[in-house]
Amino acid sequence: MMSLHFQANYCVSASSSQTYPGITESTEEYKYVERLIPPSSVPTPPKHDQYPTPSGWRPPAAVPPALPYMVRRSRMHNVPVYSDITHGNRKMTIVRKIEGDIWALEKDLKDFLTHTSGTTPLMQVNEVNMSIRIKGSFDKDLKSWLLEKGF
Amino acid sequence: MSISKSGAKSLDLLKKLPRISLVNLGPNPGAKKNEKRRGRGQHGGNRSGRGHKGERQRGNRPRLGFEGGQTPFYLVIPKYGYNEGHSRRPQYQPLTLNKLQYLIDLGRVDPSQPIDLTQLVNSRGVTIQPLKRDYGVHLVAEGAENFSAKVNIEVQMASELAIAAIEKNGGVITTSFYDPRSLCILCKPVPFFTRGQPIPKRMLPGEDLLPYYTDAKNRGYMAELAKIQEARMELARTYGYILPDITKEELFEMLSMRKGPRQIFFGLSPGWVVNMAEKKILKPTDERLISYYNSS
Repeated sequence: MMSLHFQANYCVSASSSQTYPGITESTEEYKYVERLIPPSSVPTPPKHDQYPTPSGWRPPAAVPPALPYMVRRSRMHNVPVYSDITHGNRKMTIVRKIEGDIWALEKDLKDFLTHTSGTTPLMQVNEVNMSIRIKGSFDKDLKSWLLEKGF
Repeated sequence: MSISKSGAKSLDLLKKLPRISLVNLGPNPGAKKNEKRRGRGQHGGNRSGRGHKGERQRGNRPRLGFEGGQTPFYLVIPKYGYNEGHSRRPQYQPLTLNKLQYLIDLGRVDPSQPIDLTQLVNSRGVTIQPLKRDYGVHLVAEGAENFSAKVNIEVQMASELAIAAIEKNGGVITTSFYDPRSLCILCKPVPFFTRGQPIPKRMLPGEDLLPYYTDAKNRGYMAELAKIQEARMELARTYGYILPDITKEELFEMLSMRKGPRQIFFGLSPGWVVNMAEKKILKPTDERLISYYNSS
């Protein structure tokens, strides 16, 4: 008896009463909602007519260059050369995502940087991470050098 | 030398050395330095690095900033409200034209649809923190020389040169205001839709920002369209470029898309509830609700 009384109070009809205003459903405008959902992975860059693009980006060469090493692009399709700074004044450059003969790349980098800056910069080869850390800031030079190579 | 993926030389060396165990592991020479222990031995003992008598040895020096009785520096300088009301000042995250061009080139932002703050946040081009007094994004003209994309962009603030760069390339720029609640919803629409609340009305700007958004020079969303046309032509005259005619373009419909002053999302009106699980939109039918949500 008590349970029947309890249920009757909570029986609300789907059609409108004064307390619950009605609604209409539609699926036509749902395409506008789909535009708002963020993508779940990094999109591949579209094909352009001319490279470099107005912002200065270039894709990697279609055929990887015939060298004993390979430098892959980052997740966001950029050249993996980064600048690091410690103690506020110690500038370093890091080249990451290297594959293959890392010592050959180290030799080529040494030759290139000696040619451009005059002095031979100190370099640290990390064989476990497959990265090279260079003393001094050369990130713009190294990025353009790697792009010319076709990486 | 065979090409292996990682650590060629060091792995070869490791194969020839004896098995690694706690006995043969140790830090690099010079990596660990012993700590200074006071009160022990000839050099650490005697006065233990505390000096000779006085407050220094006895550990009774006065507080930081005390200058022996002279009025200290931190009291000589008078107070001034540099940071007063800092938590009530609107902040805008900068977005350079360089970054916008980069996002379009890499396909992270689609220029064939109107570019909104939601699109910029989804492409991770800007990070907006509405809870830290951010009121939106500020378009800045760095990289205006290399900018060449035709876009319909809506920002919260824009510099004059940025407006000129966008209009020169045949695009459309609008500045509009989002109150903090609407901005939260605009930046993260999916968590809002999962809450099951109806899309709220966007509030109008307060008296401080109203002159900015009613001015045609800033392409404010509350300015008159005729005045905006005049301002476009005047800007072209000032900066010396020919204003392209947008009406004769294929994407004219997309470029002329604009949100209503109380609308947060394109195509979705305030008052609607979005059901993402069943991909439906629920719209109210009650007249009072409709008149409330459609009123300006």
